[in-house]
Amino acid sequence: MNFPVWEVPVLGGGMLIGVIAVVHVFISHFAVGGGLFLVMTERKAYSEQSAVLLDYVKRHSKFFMLLSVVAGAVTGVGIWFTIGLIHPSATSALIHAFVWGWAIEWVFFLVEVTSIIVYVKTWETMNRRSHIIVGWVYAVSSLLTLAVINGIVAFMLTPGDWLETRGFWDGIFNPSYLPSLVARTLIAVGFAGVYAFLTATRLEETAERATIIRYSALWALPALVLLPVALYWYYGVIPETAKEIIGGGIEAIESTAHYGMIAAVVLLLLVLVGPLLRPRSFSFGQALVLLVLASLSLFAAERVREAVRKPYVLFGYMYSNAVRVEDYERVEEAGLLASSKWLSVRAIDESNELTVGRELFRAQCMSCHTVGGYQDILPHLADRTVEDLEVILMDMPSFRGYMPPFAGNDQERLALARWLMTLPGPEARPLSEGGH
Amino acid sequence: MADFVVIPDVDPIPLPAPVWLLKALLLLTFLLHIIPMNLVLGGGLTSFVTEVLGRRRGSEYHLRLARSFARMIPVAVAFAITLGVAPLLFLQVLYGQLFYTSTILMAWPWLAVIALVILGYYGFYLYSYRWQRWRGVRLWVVMGSALLFMAVALIYSNAVTLMLRPEAFASLYHMAGAGSHWNIGEPTAIPRYLHFLVASFAVTGLFVIIYGMRQLRSEESYGRWALRYGAGWFIVATIVQMAVGIWFLVALPREVMMLFMGGSVFATILLGLGFLLPIVSLMLVLQASRALHPRPMAWTGIGVLAVTLVVMVLIRDLVRDGYLGGKFNVMDRVADPQWGIILIFALVLLGGLGTVGYLLGKAAAATAEAR
Repeated sequence: MNFPVWEVPVLGGGMLIGVIAVVHVFISHFAVGGGLFLVMTERKAYSEQSAVLLDYVKRHSKFFMLLSVVAGAVTGVGIWFTIGLIHPSATSALIHAFVWGWAIEWVFFLVEVTSIIVYVKTWETMNRRSHIIVGWVYAVSSLLTLAVINGIVAFMLTPGDWLETRGFWDGIFNPSYLPSLVARTLIAVGFAGVYAFLTATRLEETAERATIIRYSALWALPALVLLPVALYWYYGVIPETAKEIIGGGIEAIESTAHYGMIAAVVLLLLVLVGPLLRPRSFSFGQALVLLVLASLSLFAAERVREAVRKPYVLFGYMYSNAVRVEDYERVEEAGLLASSKWLSVRAIDESNELTVGRELFRAQCMSCHTVGGYQDILPHLADRTVEDLEVILMDMPSFRGYMPPFAGNDQERLALARWLMTLPGPEARPLSEGGH
Repeated sequence: MADFVVIPDVDPIPLPAPVWLLKALLLLTFLLHIIPMNLVLGGGLTSFVTEVLGRRRGSEYHLRLARSFARMIPVAVAFAITLGVAPLLFLQVLYGQLFYTSTILMAWPWLAVIALVILGYYGFYLYSYRWQRWRGVRLWVVMGSALLFMAVALIYSNAVTLMLRPEAFASLYHMAGAGSHWNIGEPTAIPRYLHFLVASFAVTGLFVIIYGMRQLRSEESYGRWALRYGAGWFIVATIVQMAVGIWFLVALPREVMMLFMGGSVFATILLGLGFLLPIVSLMLVLQASRALHPRPMAWTGIGVLAVTLVVMVLIRDLVRDGYLGGKFNVMDRVADPQWGIILIFALVLLGGLGTVGYLLGKAAAATAEAR
């Protein structure tokens, strides 16, 4: 409404954010837990005077840096780029409410990047004590970045008292801050162990190889066992509608949650029977399988977390179609044509009705839906009439559970319904090839 | 159809700090960002050229310098990205409604930045880590990375200038192909981009001078060679930059240009300094490259160029607000400062910079000791 809309064909905007976010979340959690893993393993190598273990940490740290500083950091910026393109209003709100949170996180990020580069570059030149200190600086600063960003991510689902007070601390230390922080930290620590399998299984066949693999398994296990407890705690503080969605309100999300849990349980069991009990025969291929399972469960968790915010992009503050809750009535009364800056038409008449309908679709629906791609609108139009659609659009929340209300007046609703009915059947080609 | 100027409303959540503070942080962090950014942008191509020269002439020094570049560039990329996050944050809080609109209009190239940076970044790492093993192809790898980052710079330059033309927003949006527009047609787009690109070679040249001075201690003749070689890059780039700068100036819209031609005393003085200081710096560097004891003159020249960078960042900001004049005045934005958190940020920033200084100091000491 306030911003132009970028049409993402096939994937849709939401899925585009999802793809980049999952890649980032997976690497960044690893980066956070990996910091602890590196420095504690280095200490262990010194105290046991194990040259093999020390050599292993060195090599692992290089792989670690190449993954976290390049792909991890850049995809993090990538999420920021993408949400700015797909949800500019929500991004703007998060930036305005939490500029100083982002700024503080940026300082930790700067320390994090500096320390990991110094850590990897000075294995041969720095004395042990200093090198361990650098390792700890990395571990702590990366945990601190999580501690800040977790507040902002948790805020999107549970803004808590911020909705009334608009206070910075109310927003950051919101109801799901703590459980979410604990869960994410456990994921981070657990995944560091799963990543360690990748580099450990590449070691030469020695007695130490098995020791390092078992050590990595022992590293991952406690976190993986405790994770369900943290998630249960988290589940307890999320909004009722979110629980409904997970409980079957949206079937796809319910099953995603189930598959995610199954993947996590299988992961746990495989860690037990594989690297822990049979470290000698544990192979690189099996380590990859564990990594895939871990990614699947994390993907599921993030997808569910994104979906349960419906119908909001910022819970209780802004609907996913970028209309602020407090503006909704005004827009409904005045109409979207009068409220939006980005429609080419100022008033509806017979000649331009379909143009308006299409632009309304772009403004109100395209942050989630596509025509012919992911979250396809076409199947929802099968066997409908214009009148059906008008009725549905009149009360979206009750007809289409967890969708935001249509923000527009009667005339606009009709225009949107008429345009929707001009769309071909569900099997037709995507709109982006000729919908203008 | 859409012949009206459309500027999105500013966010209803007030700014959490006074405009002057956010602006000061925007300019300060941008200044910190452009130093490593220039090294990435200029360093890639300089490294390529240096290695080609080394191979052609069988020059050990050229190859050695290229090897040092290979080690340095990935670190410069890390700092360019990290230090780039902060100015992007402060830009979004002050000018978000313009910035989001401009990037949405050029969404595809804008999003491509992420992929280009990841590819280019890994390319620079390969150039460094596979120096021996990839003797044959490493030249192509570094060339590729340099080109990728030059493309990233072009996209950035377009996005932050399209943002200054709200009068173009609506018509671009209603044209076909929203999401893949560029701002190339704007008269300043090319000189502005070149201004940044050429500057990066000058800054890279200065870093080679610093590098050369450090080498002087251990190996006099190599150090002298590097000093002269860096001075060559710096001097040529600075002379070319004069021409590009004038092109950029006259390409500016009349009312913006006039600000620097007496319209505003402050802007005029800055522009004068912007012309004068690089000439002073150039003279000093030229002298230093021939001097028996180059250090005092070289460091003064570098200091003068550092002041020039500050001047350029200020000029850039005046151009930005000059473009927006009458359409959006950033000073009018409503602020409701969160002083308590600002104080915490200030403390965290001090602690953070201290820690970064400590880490870099430790690393430098360890390297020195190892020698």
